[in-house]
Amino acid sequence: MRKMLPVLLTALLVLSACSAKPSTSTLKVFNWGVYIDDAVIAEFEEKYDAKVVYDNFESNEAMYTKLQGGEKYDVLVPSDYMIERLIDEDKLQKLDFSKIPNYEGIIETLKGLPSDPTNEYSVPYFWGNVGLLYNTETVDLADLEEQGWNILINTKYAGKVFIYDSERDAFMIAYKALGYSANSTVPAQTEAAYQWLRKLNSTMDPAYVTDDVIDNMIEGVKDIAVMYSGDAAYIVTENESMAYFVPREGTNLWVDSMVIPSDAQNPDLAHKWINFMLEKEVALMNTVYVGYTTPVQEVFDEVTGEGGDYEGIEAYIPRTGDEHDETFRYDEDLKRILSDLWTKVKAQ
Amino acid sequence: MKGFANLVRPYMVWIFGGIVIPMLLIVLYAFTKHGNSVMAFQFTLDNFIKFFDPVFVKVLMKSFEVAVVTTLLCILLGYPIAYIIANVNEKIQTLLLLLITMPMWINMLVRTYSWISILSDKGLINGFLVYLNLSPIKMMYTDFAVILGMVYNFLPFMILSIYTALAKMDKAIIHASYDLGANRTQTFLRVVFPLSLSGVISGITLVFLPAVSTFVIPKFLGGGQYMLIGNLIENQFITVGEWNFGSAISMIMAAIIMFSMYMTRRFDRDIEETSKGGGVVW
Repeated sequence: MRKMLPVLLTALLVLSACSAKPSTSTLKVFNWGVYIDDAVIAEFEEKYDAKVVYDNFESNEAMYTKLQGGEKYDVLVPSDYMIERLIDEDKLQKLDFSKIPNYEGIIETLKGLPSDPTNEYSVPYFWGNVGLLYNTETVDLADLEEQGWNILINTKYAGKVFIYDSERDAFMIAYKALGYSANSTVPAQTEAAYQWLRKLNSTMDPAYVTDDVIDNMIEGVKDIAVMYSGDAAYIVTENESMAYFVPREGTNLWVDSMVIPSDAQNPDLAHKWINFMLEKEVALMNTVYVGYTTPVQEVFDEVTGEGGDYEGIEAYIPRTGDEHDETFRYDEDLKRILSDLWTKVKAQ
Repeated sequence: MKGFANLVRPYMVWIFGGIVIPMLLIVLYAFTKHGNSVMAFQFTLDNFIKFFDPVFVKVLMKSFEVAVVTTLLCILLGYPIAYIIANVNEKIQTLLLLLITMPMWINMLVRTYSWISILSDKGLINGFLVYLNLSPIKMMYTDFAVILGMVYNFLPFMILSIYTALAKMDKAIIHASYDLGANRTQTFLRVVFPLSLSGVISGITLVFLPAVSTFVIPKFLGGGQYMLIGNLIENQFITVGEWNFGSAISMIMAAIIMFSMYMTRRFDRDIEETSKGGGVVW
């Protein structure tokens, strides 16, 4: 059935619109929203005399759904566990690293990630972790340090929290708050995490948000928000009463990487794109514009060094080497269970 | 004439490709589950059984509640507005209609998003309240915000369809009513209102259907924990990737909507028959 759908959808596309013929110089990129400096795209187009079709997605799952619908892209930028899934399902092609000389400059700890242990399919684009952005004027740092993730069920802050609407992140927080692994598959632990989230939902009057949390926290609408480090790095430069905190119970350390799908129409240009993104000037423009942490060592050193854009901004430097921090692993069954439970938490 | 009949063909292709095939796919998905490598899909009723979890039924009830409240508010607000528009002189009518439709030129997403900055805790209204030394009111992420957003978005449909019914009404009938000694209230209640009911009913359809299935408005103004049936379906397709369950919910939804449409139609026909027969509705 799943295989039939792409065919039907394509047929529909042909019926409904004049389907654009893929010219050799068109590159289709599928990336997260607000994740690139548009000037970079224009520069690439000029340098390689190509046309870039650039689409956004909101979550790894939404990206996957669109691919399932038969949409073809040349470059994708999913997170680690989704890359693991795509490799597992044979949907990615091996990269030709001779065409990506800039790979040399990638931060060493970001090579050989659990999602792609042999470094064959993916090249890091941005990386970071998940933490809490809080208003230093209204939230007591002592509470955060003492309670960690459990501050999210402290009714002292009821009605003042934003929760990121992603089942994987929500359950990561619950697991960590209870002292479990973020990839736990023990039913009793999942049940406990579910109850923890239900408690959060019923006692804290939380608002579940996605990217709209950025504008809201710059305005200071609420006091605590679950947030990706890169968004936090951007917000603390816009609103100085905000600060970023990563609970010591551990968090999710993630890496979003560039990959080329096996059905890419223009893999050659896709390699050029990947290499281009790692060029020093380009990576610098991107990281300064977006706020997420660059995987390029040289650029990382420059922006965090003296006089750099992110000098002294903790959120920009994801914690590494902490034994409590984990990357997500792909697990089809766990994903289905968590999705169901998350729907129930929110629909309660 | 025969030559013209052929012109319907592209339309048939369109209907078939754009409506029939997707509908069949939804039905197929709703009654199947993830297959194994040997069989592509397996027949099952599990998706429907799964829906009758109290949590999901509550979501359905809540969606209907919100849609009914929205529709009632749209009638209460829309009828007087349509009545006023239909009774001013024609130049002003055109202008007023333009004003009603103008917001619809802007994308609904943008308009809904802008309500956030009006309603939020540090938004326009609360900023003004604070300026006046009053205490701010929490409006975002409440029933109030969601229903406001819905009424705001769907009110024009109600106004326009009631207006159409009122405007096409034969003025001679109203004059006849006055001639026969009815006063303004009696004329309105016994002549104008019954004759405009067809407009009200098509307005109800135009407002209720999108209101019961929308997911954008509750997502932005309700803050996610405000889950309606539209959000549940979107969630199953986009985030969870459970197309089968999503399709089953869509089918349940479609069945309920078709039933309510059928009831409205019948009601509409009854009214028309009564008014044609010269009887009094009340």
